[in-house]
Amino acid sequence: MASTVAGTVARRAAPIELSGVTKRFVTPSGSRFTALRDVDLTIGAGTFCAVVGPTGCGKSTTLTMVSGLDRPSAGSVRVAGQAVDGITRGTSFMFQADALMPWKTVLANVALGPVFHGVPRKEAHSRARDWVRRVGLAGFEDHHPHQLSGGMRKRVSLAAALINEPSILLMDEPFGALDVQTKAIMSNELLALWEQARPSVIFVTHDLEEAIALADQVVVLTAGPGTVKAVYDIDLPRPRGAVQEIRFEPRFLELHHQIWESLREEVGRAYARTANAEGGRS
Amino acid sequence: MSAPPLKPQHSVEIGPIGSTADATEAAIAADVRNSTRRRKTLLWAARIATLVIIIGGWQLFTSAKIVDPFFWGRPSGIVKQLNDWVQHGTQYGSIWLQIWTTFKEAVLGFVVGVAGGVVVGVLLGQVRFLADVASPYIKVANAIPRIVLGSLFTVALGLGIASKVSLASVLVFFVVFFNAFQGVREVDRNLLNNARVLGASRLAITRHVVVPSALTWIIASLHVAFGMAIIGAIVGEFLGAQKGLGLVIATAQNNFNPNGVFAAMFIIAVLALTAEGLIALLERRLLSWRPRSQSEVAAA
Repeated sequence: MASTVAGTVARRAAPIELSGVTKRFVTPSGSRFTALRDVDLTIGAGTFCAVVGPTGCGKSTTLTMVSGLDRPSAGSVRVAGQAVDGITRGTSFMFQADALMPWKTVLANVALGPVFHGVPRKEAHSRARDWVRRVGLAGFEDHHPHQLSGGMRKRVSLAAALINEPSILLMDEPFGALDVQTKAIMSNELLALWEQARPSVIFVTHDLEEAIALADQVVVLTAGPGTVKAVYDIDLPRPRGAVQEIRFEPRFLELHHQIWESLREEVGRAYARTANAEGGRS
Repeated sequence: MSAPPLKPQHSVEIGPIGSTADATEAAIAADVRNSTRRRKTLLWAARIATLVIIIGGWQLFTSAKIVDPFFWGRPSGIVKQLNDWVQHGTQYGSIWLQIWTTFKEAVLGFVVGVAGGVVVGVLLGQVRFLADVASPYIKVANAIPRIVLGSLFTVALGLGIASKVSLASVLVFFVVFFNAFQGVREVDRNLLNNARVLGASRLAITRHVVVPSALTWIIASLHVAFGMAIIGAIVGEFLGAQKGLGLVIATAQNNFNPNGVFAAMFIIAVLALTAEGLIALLERRLLSWRPRSQSEVAAA
């Protein structure tokens, strides 16, 4: 039943609702660790939502629960009105680290999504070829990931994530490991591709500027256990254009100032806590 | 943005790259080539010298009766023995038949052992519960000197090929199994999660992610595994056989013929090296996606 419903919405953006979500982990030593506490968050269909917060506040945990890779200890996660149970259909995930199969060529990596969905190999490859071209890697179809630069590998990941035409795109600091220039280029390309299909996006990042430049909505999480501290609507007009330039718009600076006020407190608390922990240990 | 464009304060003039630069380039390249060639020559000279010293020393010491050739054999005797086998055969038929028999046993044992090791390793590596159930027994089985099983197999399966293949495959199985198991356990969690989110079934994950990822480990184990297969075949023949190199060695031992033992040993080494070469070829084909490691680049 769930599959047919999810199947019909897969092509369209899906709203995401988290209500009262708490996630606890039991560490191997037996102690409990709460990553998220009472998170209430609604992300409208087709919204680009950026989640910022200090290190270790459960940003990534949110993504794994929306994707269905993990489930909440309490509360519920609903995607397109359906409670998440197992892997959420129509979701693509872009991880912080490379998640490309090193033994497969660029083309085969991009084709994985359709292949896993039972699309015949030939058609999967022709669709993959199209996506490789769309992310600007035409000519690199037969290369292996280790032969590409970090930015190019991210392009492959992006193509592999978008080829399934996801209704939800989850991104966990996807450009965190890139140098500043490459990051800016990749952000522009992401926006251009996103504006074509408009899936709902949750974009986790440390970088507030990146968050404001890309998103419709910025969510600030508190220091761990994370909970929603504030949600800001970013009313910068779309299409945004180059992320390098939007940073100088007065409205951008105003928003940045406002959100940073809120974020700074949490970052400070998280830092003080780790510093204390380090001090206590030594 | 309204500010006047900045001018670089300094800029370095880069002169045209002329023929002098090309000439230096060529000289450097030639220099590198020369030093590589010199190193290679020296390497081979040292290798040949090592061989000459060992074989020559052996021959010399046994001729001078410092080392007793009755116990330790001598190179000239080994060559004579090999020649004799090729000309007149052994007492169990032609030498080629002996080689073929041992080779067949080793290869069959190798194939059976590798297949079993990979299947069981991948299965236990993926199903946590099965692995936990099996783990103490595997530890025990690994602690047993498995070569002793050869006695059982000889009694139960007779003097034919089956007992040797069984022993070889048991020895191979454990080597491959441990590597396959570990390889599956080491699969990158990111890759697994990514495949799951992309909608891969359990079988698809095994086929596209787990097995290719574990292949590096499995193939590394094949080098050791083929050696094990040969040991299994030879020991099996030692314990009771009607033909094969192991039997030839046992007979030479009983006749106080160390040259025969060494000669058979030499043949086995050639067999093993050939197989090793084939495995290396397979490795290069299956793992062609891997970046070449530092040492491989240096060796090329």
